[in-house]
Amino acid sequence: MHSTRPAKITSPVTTLSGGHVRTIPIAIIAGAICIGVALALSLGSEFRLKRFMYTYLSAFCFVLSISVGCLFFVTIMHLTRAGWSVTVRRIAELYAMCLVPLFLLFLPILVSVLMGSDIVYEWNVAGWTHHGEAERAAAASLPYNQLPPLEQLKGKFLNSGFFTIRVIAYFAIWGFMAYFFLSNSLKQDESGDKSLTAKMQAYSAPLMILFAATVVFASFDIEMTLSPLWFSTMFPVYFFAGAILSALCTILLTGMYLQRTGRITDEITVDHYHDLGKLMQGFVIFWGYIAFSQFLLIWYANIPEETFWYDLRFVNNGWRGMSIVLLIGHLFIPFFLLMGRGLRRNRTLLAISAIFILVMHWVDHYWLVMPQMDRAAVELSERATGAHPTFTFSGIGIVIDIACALGVVSLFIAIFCGIVRNRPLVPLQDPRLGEALNHEVH
Amino acid sequence: MVEENTNEQDSQLVGLLAQFDDPDSLIAACNQAREAGYKKMDAYTPFPVHGIDPAIGIKRSILPFIVLAVGIGAAFVGIGLQFFANSNYFDGLSPFPGYGFNIGGKPIFSTPANIPVTFEIIVLSSAFAAFFGMWGLNKLPMFSNPLHRISRFKRATNDKFFLMIEEADGQFEYATTEGQLNEWGAVAIEECRQDLTDTKLPRWLTVAGVMVAILLLLPPVMIFRAKGMTERAPRLHFNPDMDWQIKFKSQTVGPVNNEGEPLFEDMRAMRDQVPGTIAFGDLEADSEMFEGIKSDWKPEVTVTTATGSVRTSLGENQEAGGVSAADDLTKYVTSFPEGIEVNEEFLARGQQRFNIYCSACHGYDGNGNGLVNKRAMALNAAGEAGMGTRWTTAKSLHDATVKDSKQNPLGRIFETITHGRNTMGPYGAQITPKDRWAIVAYVKAVQETELKLKSDQEADDSDDSSDNSSEDDSANPRP
Repeated sequence: MHSTRPAKITSPVTTLSGGHVRTIPIAIIAGAICIGVALALSLGSEFRLKRFMYTYLSAFCFVLSISVGCLFFVTIMHLTRAGWSVTVRRIAELYAMCLVPLFLLFLPILVSVLMGSDIVYEWNVAGWTHHGEAERAAAASLPYNQLPPLEQLKGKFLNSGFFTIRVIAYFAIWGFMAYFFLSNSLKQDESGDKSLTAKMQAYSAPLMILFAATVVFASFDIEMTLSPLWFSTMFPVYFFAGAILSALCTILLTGMYLQRTGRITDEITVDHYHDLGKLMQGFVIFWGYIAFSQFLLIWYANIPEETFWYDLRFVNNGWRGMSIVLLIGHLFIPFFLLMGRGLRRNRTLLAISAIFILVMHWVDHYWLVMPQMDRAAVELSERATGAHPTFTFSGIGIVIDIACALGVVSLFIAIFCGIVRNRPLVPLQDPRLGEALNHEVH
Repeated sequence: MVEENTNEQDSQLVGLLAQFDDPDSLIAACNQAREAGYKKMDAYTPFPVHGIDPAIGIKRSILPFIVLAVGIGAAFVGIGLQFFANSNYFDGLSPFPGYGFNIGGKPIFSTPANIPVTFEIIVLSSAFAAFFGMWGLNKLPMFSNPLHRISRFKRATNDKFFLMIEEADGQFEYATTEGQLNEWGAVAIEECRQDLTDTKLPRWLTVAGVMVAILLLLPPVMIFRAKGMTERAPRLHFNPDMDWQIKFKSQTVGPVNNEGEPLFEDMRAMRDQVPGTIAFGDLEADSEMFEGIKSDWKPEVTVTTATGSVRTSLGENQEAGGVSAADDLTKYVTSFPEGIEVNEEFLARGQQRFNIYCSACHGYDGNGNGLVNKRAMALNAAGEAGMGTRWTTAKSLHDATVKDSKQNPLGRIFETITHGRNTMGPYGAQITPKDRWAIVAYVKAVQETELKLKSDQEADDSDDSSDNSSEDDSANPRP
């Protein structure tokens, strides 16, 4: 038993052999069709383009967080000199590399910001603090003559120029990190140079600091400023918790798919899946811990400046139901699904759990993004016509959301296949490969 | 192969210990032993060997389920504890009614608030269950193990691998088992024997232990005894320096001399200030600065108070709590006292202090319609008895008499802030003299510019050419 495992890779195939190249145009076309359907249906809906942009943003944040989480996975594995994860690390490296093309998917939103439109970010139009949220927040706690400074103060940070610079900086830094790890790892495949591992370990510590800083501000910019008066320093941790969780699920599912189709054989064992499952459960709990911590502090302090964000999600419309779905589906169900050793070592159950968590993670981003459109649209309409259109979950709306999510995920798959090309799916000459191949856990 | 120091009378066979030189041969032997039907056996290795668990047929530990059960139980305990402790549902039903605290207006039983405590109790209980459960399942603490009597076994923590098959196993037969172990590649085989010599403690040790235990019971017994009885002896003072300090608390009986007689006739610890003296830093001799009254003004009556500061009074002209019609307006200063420089910074300070202390009643724009006033007027209008009906509207600072520098010179405004006027209370204790002058300056500036801060549209900050235009600034930072 002890000596039956190989110390080197024995399987004949460790690269995708061309089949996936055919996937790229199919995935692009499918993605374009889905997004087109979502766009067309959105234009016919009550909120028109705004509806589409918000749905698109939530789907984009979903795939972005997967890539960001994979980048974290690669960095932390180097930082901790992990041996067990070598065989699954390449998958994470490839997903992290997707961050560069993902910038293209963010362009629609960035262009709308640069055009001076407040279709996504309401802070992009002068006088935004006088819109409803500001009045409600400010009237509760501040004298009216002190309102303007808020816009002046936040405007220094929240303006289209600085926003664009920051977003480009995030993607540049992530792209550099992903390229650094992937290129050095590929170089090692050829040369077997062990010093490359030492180099990546040495750089992983400062890069981790850089990663933390960029993720914090990226989550602020891309998702939190949808409600520009609301602030929570816990929000980036919440984003991060979901990101690493979805990344683990994605790595696991990709590994299982590659193994099923024979691209990888003995390199990934049930022990690796078991460890990924343990990490998944850990981050399910971490997500719940962070989500609750953020909620508890705001709930307990009970300051209108902060509570309106949760008020929107707990009281209005169907958002209350979705909040409960998140609590149960994103925390309790995965918690018990991943609890036992037997459950974690059962590939089918583990795959089901991973898919379920990924769906819940999309719901999570939907829950973060969409209520803000609801709020903004209601207020705009109130000012213009006096009518009160409210966002409701309709059949058409669900088709829009699912079509858009499928479209963005299809594009993401196309990007991934494009990144993979003929690159080996396992680090072939990593000095810790033997340790990973003989990995065993209890 | 039997070791030298075993005595058949004094010891009992526990099992046979076989030594192997590498983990692979150990695992192979374990597999063969398991297949041969042995159940009671254990392997000892210097490091964790992969695959050893299934090789010796170890079943999965039930520890996870113990932890799960304890964790779920702890969740109920945690929630129940808080439900019980902070509720008022058990009033009259239980000798321990809940506290029923109203915390921040939250419900008595409020799920989110209870989650952190519940979570912590679950974590603590689960950790205890895992730790002590592991002890229990491993039969710890075990003070001695027969294996430690075998010198060869010491290398189990170094470089050798051992397999022990216990005599209690149904399959165990000395000769057969020894033969099998040899066959499976054991490098050496030894008997493991349990020492059967008397394990009782010496009598004197038992007696000493019992006595110590009894002695240890004494303190709690004495404490319980003391709780239930009245004690006439004075309490013990272990730290007299702390219990009797050389100081006297305010509002207490004063010091006594060595004979036990009070040092002061009135027996008070607090002493009046010696007449004619002034405490350090309390000299407020500059009446222009501290009272707003001209220094060359001679009052009809001068009262020197016990604190030594010079207070002026109008004597018979003054009426209790109000202002006299014959108020001598000439006594007030009409310009800022020396040492006060009115500039932009000073006015900004005045505005900030005004917004803190004055705006509640007088309003941010000084028109007398602050939040307190609004609320009081609303109560008045609703006809509710209480504070509202007794409310006197706060004075508008734009009122003609208030604005008039003849009727209300600077010094009088300062005096109003310091000592209050009519129903307005005194603010001298809360606001430092310099800040009071800053408020005076700000009030004059507000009056001068008719500043209206009510809305951005009404704010008139474009055509004002007076000196005070600089502070007509609606974009002030938050105080």
